[in-house]
Amino acid sequence: MPVEKSFEPAIVAFCCNWCTYTGADLAGLNRMKYPENVHVIRVPCSGRVNPQFILRAFQKGCDGVMVCGCHPGDCHYSTGNYFTRRRFMIMKRLLEYNGIDPERFHARWISGSEAAKFRDTAAEVSEHVKKLGPNVKYREEFRITESAEAGT
Amino acid sequence: MSEKQEKMRQCAEKLLRDGEAGYVIGWGETRFDDRTTPIFVEDPAGAGAFVWNEYAINSLAKYLLDDKYPDKKIGLFTRGCESRAINRLLKDNQIKRENVYLIGVPCDGKKSDRCTLCRERNPILYDVLLWTPEDDPPPAAGRFDRVKDIEAMSPDERYVYWGETYDSCIRCYACRNVCPACNCRECYADMSKTGFQGKQHSRSDNQIFGVTRAFHVGDRCIECGECERVCPMNLPIMGQTQKILKDINELTGEYECGMDATSENYLGRFDLDDKDEFM
Repeated sequence: MPVEKSFEPAIVAFCCNWCTYTGADLAGLNRMKYPENVHVIRVPCSGRVNPQFILRAFQKGCDGVMVCGCHPGDCHYSTGNYFTRRRFMIMKRLLEYNGIDPERFHARWISGSEAAKFRDTAAEVSEHVKKLGPNVKYREEFRITESAEAGT
Repeated sequence: MSEKQEKMRQCAEKLLRDGEAGYVIGWGETRFDDRTTPIFVEDPAGAGAFVWNEYAINSLAKYLLDDKYPDKKIGLFTRGCESRAINRLLKDNQIKRENVYLIGVPCDGKKSDRCTLCRERNPILYDVLLWTPEDDPPPAAGRFDRVKDIEAMSPDERYVYWGETYDSCIRCYACRNVCPACNCRECYADMSKTGFQGKQHSRSDNQIFGVTRAFHVGDRCIECGECERVCPMNLPIMGQTQKILKDINELTGEYECGMDATSENYLGRFDLDDKDEFM
């Protein structure tokens, strides 16, 4: 698939309510600019993010996915992000194993005061994904024959 | 072989005659010489139907889920793989130990691909052991060989490999039905209204089923190989679950499931010093 110059990736960021979402809010309050193609979805805790959400996002047409939560030890629910860490260490590798480019999936710890880190991460991910072009892997629009061509 | 078979029949007959077990699950003859089928025997006189040969392949443990509240104990012939599956079911709170009577039958390896990676021939868990334990096979050096082969490909090649694999998946869910780790009352793939799993026959939905299934069972997989054995399309689906096991082994050291009924599975617990790449 040719990459059009005007390609703007769709990136979904699952942000934990207590840290990253507040961090993104702070970025807004401080008038920091981050790419508008990062769509924030608020979740109660990064532990809420079912790995299936990531697959589903790719299937429905996202080009990149971010999962962001509190730093280990800072979880509002004490232990949620420790489970997240284990889960996504495995999921990240499994996605790569299935052919998803590692640049398309990112997990980051961003605290409520790290507005700049949120901005930088969003910009970085957006830039990487832009370079990679639209995601065809796991996209549901592509039928068996079409996607076989797109994949090769 | 026939001596062992005789011991099995005698043991089953005694259990049934004494009323200790309501019925016994084992392997029985079919009209093919190279096949056996799981059978359920209630009548002591029928215990002669049990067979023990190199074709007694099916794992029997999952049948316990079809009768969770039996009147009497369920007798079950237990090899290494069954005992690990039973540990799995006990840990997942699916069955009660006092509801089953495990007849240990050390296994000498069967004529099946699923036995090539076997590392546990003797039952870990049993109520009675019918004959002397076999020597465990040497740890298979090639345990993760095929995972390594796939890892050596480029991302696009991996995508095509798995895509082409799942293109022929017919979504019969046999792999789920036979898996001792897949014991949810209702599987996410059957929930038609939540939208977790699309029902189309497309590469995308097939792959998502494959990856999700692997992730659901990955850290609890006992590597019995039943999923591959029952797959009507002969898909190498253990390549996915073994990848997860390989990663766990690399991240936290030696990890094996189903060796006891108490320890928490990998994704159900955490360690403060877990490796972190998300800083």
